[in-house]
Amino acid sequence: MDPESTKELLADVFSQVAERLAFMFSEPAEEDEFPDFCQQALMATMTFEGPTTGRLTLAVPHDMCPELTANVLGLDPDDDAITESASQDALKELLNITCGHVLTTLAGEEPIFNLSVPEIAPLPNDGWNKLYREAGTCPLLVDDNPVLIHLQLDS
Amino acid sequence: MGLKVLLVDDSETVRAVMAKTFDLAGLDIEAVHHAANGKEALAVLRQESVDLVFTDINMPVMGGVEMLETMKQDSALANIPVVIVSTEGSATRVDQLKEKGVSAYVRKPFTPEGLREVIDSIIGDSNGS
Repeated sequence: MDPESTKELLADVFSQVAERLAFMFSEPAEEDEFPDFCQQALMATMTFEGPTTGRLTLAVPHDMCPELTANVLGLDPDDDAITESASQDALKELLNITCGHVLTTLAGEEPIFNLSVPEIAPLPNDGWNKLYREAGTCPLLVDDNPVLIHLQLDS
Repeated sequence: MGLKVLLVDDSETVRAVMAKTFDLAGLDIEAVHHAANGKEALAVLRQESVDLVFTDINMPVMGGVEMLETMKQDSALANIPVVIVSTEGSATRVDQLKEKGVSAYVRKPFTPEGLREVIDSIIGDSNGS
Protein backbone atom coordinates (compact mmCIF):
# COMPACT_ATOMS: atom_id res chain seq x y z
CA MET A 1 0.00 0.00 0.00
CA ASP A 2 1.50 3.38 -0.96
CA PRO A 3 1.90 6.10 1.70
CA GLU A 4 -0.84 8.32 0.31
CA SER A 5 -3.40 5.50 0.29
CA THR A 6 -2.37 4.60 3.82
CA LYS A 7 -2.89 8.19 4.94
CA GLU A 8 -6.34 8.29 3.36
CA LEU A 9 -7.36 5.03 5.00
CA LEU A 10 -6.11 6.16 8.42
CA ALA A 11 -7.80 9.55 8.15
CA ASP A 12 -11.08 7.99 7.14
CA VAL A 13 -11.16 5.27 9.80
CA PHE A 14 -9.86 7.47 12.60
CA SER A 15 -12.38 10.23 11.90
CA GLN A 16 -15.27 7.76 12.08
CA VAL A 17 -14.04 6.19 15.31
CA ALA A 18 -13.22 9.53 17.02
CA GLU A 19 -16.62 10.90 16.12
CA ARG A 20 -18.54 7.88 17.38
CA LEU A 21 -16.45 7.21 20.48
CA ALA A 22 -15.61 10.72 21.63
CA PHE A 23 -17.78 13.08 19.58
CA MET A 24 -14.58 14.69 18.30
CA PHE A 25 -14.22 15.75 14.70
CA SER A 26 -11.06 15.29 12.71
CA GLU A 27 -9.79 16.46 9.36
CA PRO A 28 -6.53 15.90 7.48
CA ALA A 29 -4.08 18.69 8.30
CA GLU A 30 -2.25 20.83 5.79
CA GLU A 31 1.49 21.08 6.31
CA ASP A 32 1.42 24.83 6.95
CA GLU A 33 -1.12 24.46 9.76
CA PHE A 34 0.43 21.49 11.53
CA PRO A 35 3.08 21.76 14.27
CA ASP A 36 6.27 19.80 13.63
CA PHE A 37 7.10 19.90 17.36
CA CYS A 38 5.08 19.00 20.43
CA GLN A 39 6.71 19.41 23.81
CA GLN A 40 4.52 17.06 25.82
CA ALA A 41 3.00 14.28 23.78
CA LEU A 42 1.87 10.75 24.50
CA MET A 43 2.33 7.86 22.13
CA ALA A 44 0.02 4.85 22.17
CA THR A 45 1.08 1.78 20.22
CA MET A 46 -0.23 -1.70 19.59
CA THR A 47 0.80 -4.55 17.33
CA PHE A 48 -1.27 -7.05 15.36
CA GLU A 49 -0.59 -10.48 13.92
CA GLY A 50 -2.58 -12.30 11.27
CA PRO A 51 -2.46 -12.43 7.48
CA THR A 52 -0.61 -9.12 7.89
CA THR A 53 1.54 -8.14 10.83
CA GLY A 54 2.42 -4.65 11.91
CA ARG A 55 1.96 -1.84 14.37
CA LEU A 56 -0.42 1.09 14.75
CA THR A 57 0.80 4.22 16.54
CA LEU A 58 -1.15 7.22 17.74
CA ALA A 59 0.48 10.38 19.11
CA VAL A 60 -1.45 13.17 20.80
CA PRO A 61 -0.54 16.24 22.87
CA HIS A 62 -0.79 15.47 26.57
CA ASP A 63 -3.15 18.44 26.96
CA MET A 64 -5.69 16.81 24.66
CA CYS A 65 -6.18 13.76 26.88
CA PRO A 66 -8.51 15.28 29.49
CA GLU A 67 -10.80 16.57 26.72
CA LEU A 68 -10.75 13.18 25.01
CA THR A 69 -11.49 11.37 28.27
CA ALA A 70 -14.26 13.77 29.23
CA ASN A 71 -15.92 13.25 25.86
CA VAL A 72 -15.58 9.48 26.03
CA LEU A 73 -17.06 9.39 29.54
CA GLY A 74 -19.60 12.15 29.00
CA LEU A 75 -18.13 14.26 31.82
CA ASP A 76 -16.87 17.81 32.28
CA PRO A 77 -13.09 18.09 31.61
CA ASP A 78 -12.64 19.36 35.18
CA ASP A 79 -14.43 16.38 36.71
CA ASP A 80 -12.43 14.55 39.38
CA ALA A 81 -12.94 11.31 37.46
CA ILE A 82 -10.65 12.59 34.69
CA THR A 83 -7.46 11.15 36.15
CA GLU A 84 -4.18 10.42 34.41
CA SER A 85 -5.08 6.73 34.47
CA ALA A 86 -8.51 7.37 32.93
CA SER A 87 -6.88 9.54 30.26
CA GLN A 88 -4.46 6.79 29.34
CA ASP A 89 -7.32 4.27 29.23
CA ALA A 90 -9.30 6.54 26.90
CA LEU A 91 -6.34 6.97 24.57
CA LYS A 92 -5.70 3.22 24.56
CA GLU A 93 -9.34 2.56 23.75
CA LEU A 94 -9.28 5.06 20.89
CA LEU A 95 -6.24 3.29 19.44
CA ASN A 96 -7.67 -0.17 20.07
CA ILE A 97 -10.92 0.55 18.26
CA THR A 98 -9.15 2.33 15.42
CA CYS A 99 -6.84 -0.65 14.97
CA GLY A 100 -9.74 -3.10 14.76
CA HIS A 101 -11.44 -1.03 12.09
CA VAL A 102 -8.23 -0.38 10.14
CA LEU A 103 -7.63 -4.13 9.93
CA THR A 104 -11.17 -4.83 8.74
CA THR A 105 -10.79 -2.13 6.09
CA LEU A 106 -7.45 -3.56 4.98
CA ALA A 107 -8.17 -7.28 5.11
CA GLY A 108 -11.94 -7.70 5.15
CA GLU A 109 -14.08 -9.50 7.71
CA GLU A 110 -12.83 -13.06 7.28
CA PRO A 111 -9.26 -13.08 8.66
CA ILE A 112 -8.63 -13.29 12.38
CA PHE A 113 -6.01 -10.96 13.85
CA ASN A 114 -4.44 -11.21 17.27
CA LEU A 115 -4.10 -7.76 18.76
CA SER A 116 -1.67 -6.81 21.49
CA VAL A 117 -2.70 -4.76 24.50
CA PRO A 118 -2.13 -1.06 23.72
CA GLU A 119 0.82 0.55 25.48
CA ILE A 120 1.38 4.21 26.29
CA ALA A 121 4.63 6.11 26.72
CA PRO A 122 5.68 9.75 26.68
CA LEU A 123 6.96 10.74 23.26
CA PRO A 124 10.54 12.12 23.43
CA ASN A 125 10.94 15.75 22.37
CA ASP A 126 12.26 14.82 18.93
CA GLY A 127 9.81 11.92 18.61
CA TRP A 128 6.91 14.01 17.35
CA ASN A 129 8.91 15.41 14.46
CA LYS A 130 10.35 11.99 13.58
CA LEU A 131 6.92 10.40 13.50
CA TYR A 132 5.47 13.33 11.55
CA ARG A 133 8.17 13.01 8.88
CA GLU A 134 7.83 9.23 8.55
CA ALA A 135 6.30 8.04 5.26
CA GLY A 136 2.66 7.12 5.65
CA THR A 137 2.11 9.09 8.85
CA CYS A 138 -1.25 10.80 8.76
CA PRO A 139 -1.39 14.24 10.43
CA LEU A 140 -4.87 15.20 11.59
CA LEU A 141 -6.51 18.05 13.40
CA VAL A 142 -8.96 16.67 15.93
CA ASP A 143 -11.10 19.46 17.36
CA ASP A 144 -8.08 21.69 16.56
CA ASN A 145 -5.64 19.38 18.38
CA PRO A 146 -2.75 18.00 16.28
CA VAL A 147 -2.76 14.20 16.14
CA LEU A 148 -0.43 11.79 14.35
CA ILE A 149 -1.38 8.28 13.34
CA HIS A 150 1.01 5.85 11.73
CA LEU A 151 0.53 2.37 10.33
CA GLN A 152 3.55 0.11 9.92
CA LEU A 153 2.98 -3.05 7.88
CA ASP A 154 5.73 -5.65 8.26
CA SER A 155 4.36 -8.27 5.89
CA MET B 1 -37.81 -5.35 37.64
CA GLY B 2 -34.60 -4.05 36.09
CA LEU B 3 -31.71 -5.93 34.60
CA LYS B 4 -28.67 -6.94 36.61
CA VAL B 5 -25.63 -6.80 34.39
CA LEU B 6 -21.97 -7.64 34.81
CA LEU B 7 -19.38 -5.61 32.85
CA VAL B 8 -16.04 -7.35 32.36
CA ASP B 9 -13.14 -5.29 31.02
CA ASP B 10 -9.66 -4.52 32.33
CA SER B 11 -10.25 -0.84 31.65
CA GLU B 12 -12.33 0.95 34.25
CA THR B 13 -12.91 3.68 31.67
CA VAL B 14 -14.41 1.25 29.17
CA ARG B 15 -16.71 -0.13 31.86
CA ALA B 16 -17.78 3.43 32.71
CA VAL B 17 -18.53 4.08 29.04
CA MET B 18 -20.67 0.96 28.85
CA ALA B 19 -22.59 1.88 32.00
CA LYS B 20 -23.18 5.36 30.56
CA THR B 21 -24.40 3.82 27.30
CA PHE B 22 -26.98 1.75 29.18
CA ASP B 23 -28.36 5.01 30.60
CA LEU B 24 -28.44 6.63 27.18
CA ALA B 25 -30.24 3.62 25.76
CA GLY B 26 -33.02 4.08 28.30
CA LEU B 27 -32.56 0.59 29.65
CA ASP B 28 -33.98 -0.33 33.03
CA ILE B 29 -30.83 -1.41 34.85
CA GLU B 30 -31.21 -2.46 38.46
CA ALA B 31 -27.56 -3.24 39.17
CA VAL B 32 -24.26 -2.93 37.36
CA HIS B 33 -21.48 -5.19 38.65
CA HIS B 34 -17.89 -4.74 37.53
CA ALA B 35 -14.97 -7.10 37.00
CA ALA B 36 -11.51 -6.45 35.56
CA ASN B 37 -11.01 -9.94 34.09
CA GLY B 38 -12.65 -13.31 33.66
CA LYS B 39 -11.50 -14.65 37.01
CA GLU B 40 -13.00 -11.71 38.89
CA ALA B 41 -16.15 -12.06 36.81
CA LEU B 42 -16.59 -15.72 37.79
CA ALA B 43 -16.28 -14.75 41.45
CA VAL B 44 -18.96 -12.08 41.02
CA LEU B 45 -21.24 -14.51 39.16
CA ARG B 46 -20.97 -17.02 42.02
CA GLN B 47 -21.99 -14.38 44.57
CA GLU B 48 -24.47 -12.15 42.79
CA SER B 49 -27.58 -12.61 40.72
CA VAL B 50 -26.73 -11.51 37.15
CA ASP B 51 -29.02 -11.50 34.10
CA LEU B 52 -26.50 -10.60 31.41
CA VAL B 53 -22.71 -10.48 31.05
CA PHE B 54 -20.87 -8.08 28.74
CA THR B 55 -17.23 -8.97 28.31
CA ASP B 56 -14.09 -8.03 26.43
CA ILE B 57 -12.02 -10.81 24.85
CA ASN B 58 -8.42 -9.84 25.61
CA MET B 59 -7.81 -9.28 29.30
CA PRO B 60 -4.99 -10.12 31.68
CA VAL B 61 -5.34 -13.04 34.15
CA MET B 62 -8.32 -14.59 32.34
CA GLY B 63 -9.78 -13.53 29.00
CA GLY B 64 -13.41 -13.51 27.91
CA VAL B 65 -13.30 -16.79 25.99
CA GLU B 66 -11.83 -18.76 28.90
CA MET B 67 -14.42 -17.19 31.21
CA LEU B 68 -17.19 -18.22 28.81
CA GLU B 69 -15.89 -21.80 28.61
CA THR B 70 -15.77 -22.01 32.41
CA MET B 71 -19.32 -20.67 32.67
CA LYS B 72 -20.61 -23.25 30.18
CA GLN B 73 -19.14 -26.05 32.32
CA ASP B 74 -20.86 -24.78 35.47
CA SER B 75 -24.56 -25.61 35.58
CA ALA B 76 -25.27 -22.61 37.81
CA LEU B 77 -23.77 -20.21 35.27
CA ALA B 78 -24.23 -21.95 31.94
CA ASN B 79 -27.50 -20.26 31.06
CA ILE B 80 -26.50 -16.67 31.75
CA PRO B 81 -26.28 -14.89 28.37
CA VAL B 82 -22.83 -13.58 27.48
CA VAL B 83 -22.30 -10.72 25.06
CA ILE B 84 -18.82 -10.17 23.68
CA VAL B 85 -17.82 -6.53 23.27
CA SER B 86 -14.71 -6.15 21.18
CA THR B 87 -12.87 -4.07 18.62
CA GLU B 88 -12.34 -7.07 16.38
CA GLY B 89 -14.40 -7.29 13.22
CA SER B 90 -13.64 -10.79 11.99
CA ALA B 91 -16.77 -12.67 10.94
CA THR B 92 -14.80 -15.90 11.37
CA ARG B 93 -14.07 -14.99 14.99
CA VAL B 94 -17.73 -14.12 15.62
CA ASP B 95 -18.81 -17.51 14.23
CA GLN B 96 -16.29 -19.27 16.46
CA LEU B 97 -17.56 -17.39 19.51
CA LYS B 98 -21.18 -18.20 18.72
CA GLU B 99 -20.25 -21.89 18.47
CA LYS B 100 -18.85 -21.60 21.98
CA GLY B 101 -22.19 -20.26 23.21
CA VAL B 102 -21.89 -16.49 23.00
CA SER B 103 -25.34 -14.91 22.78
CA ALA B 104 -24.32 -11.83 20.81
CA TYR B 105 -21.38 -9.82 19.63
CA VAL B 106 -21.10 -6.04 19.85
CA ARG B 107 -18.38 -4.29 17.97
CA LYS B 108 -16.82 -1.13 19.41
CA PRO B 109 -17.56 1.70 19.19
CA PHE B 110 -21.12 0.87 20.09
CA THR B 111 -24.15 3.14 20.19
CA PRO B 112 -26.98 3.18 22.73
CA GLU B 113 -29.34 2.02 19.96
CA GLY B 114 -27.06 -0.84 18.97
CA LEU B 115 -26.66 -1.98 22.54
CA ARG B 116 -30.40 -1.81 23.15
CA GLU B 117 -31.06 -3.84 20.01
CA VAL B 118 -28.72 -6.56 21.22
CA ILE B 119 -30.27 -6.67 24.68
CA ASP B 120 -33.77 -6.78 23.23
CA SER B 121 -32.78 -9.67 21.00
CA ILE B 122 -31.59 -11.65 24.02
CA ILE B 123 -34.11 -10.87 26.74
CA GLY B 124 -37.01 -9.52 24.72
CA ASP B 125 -38.16 -5.93 24.40
CA SER B 126 -39.83 -5.70 27.79
CA ASN B 127 -36.87 -3.91 29.33
CA GLY B 128 -36.62 -0.12 29.52
CA SER B 129 -38.87 2.83 29.46
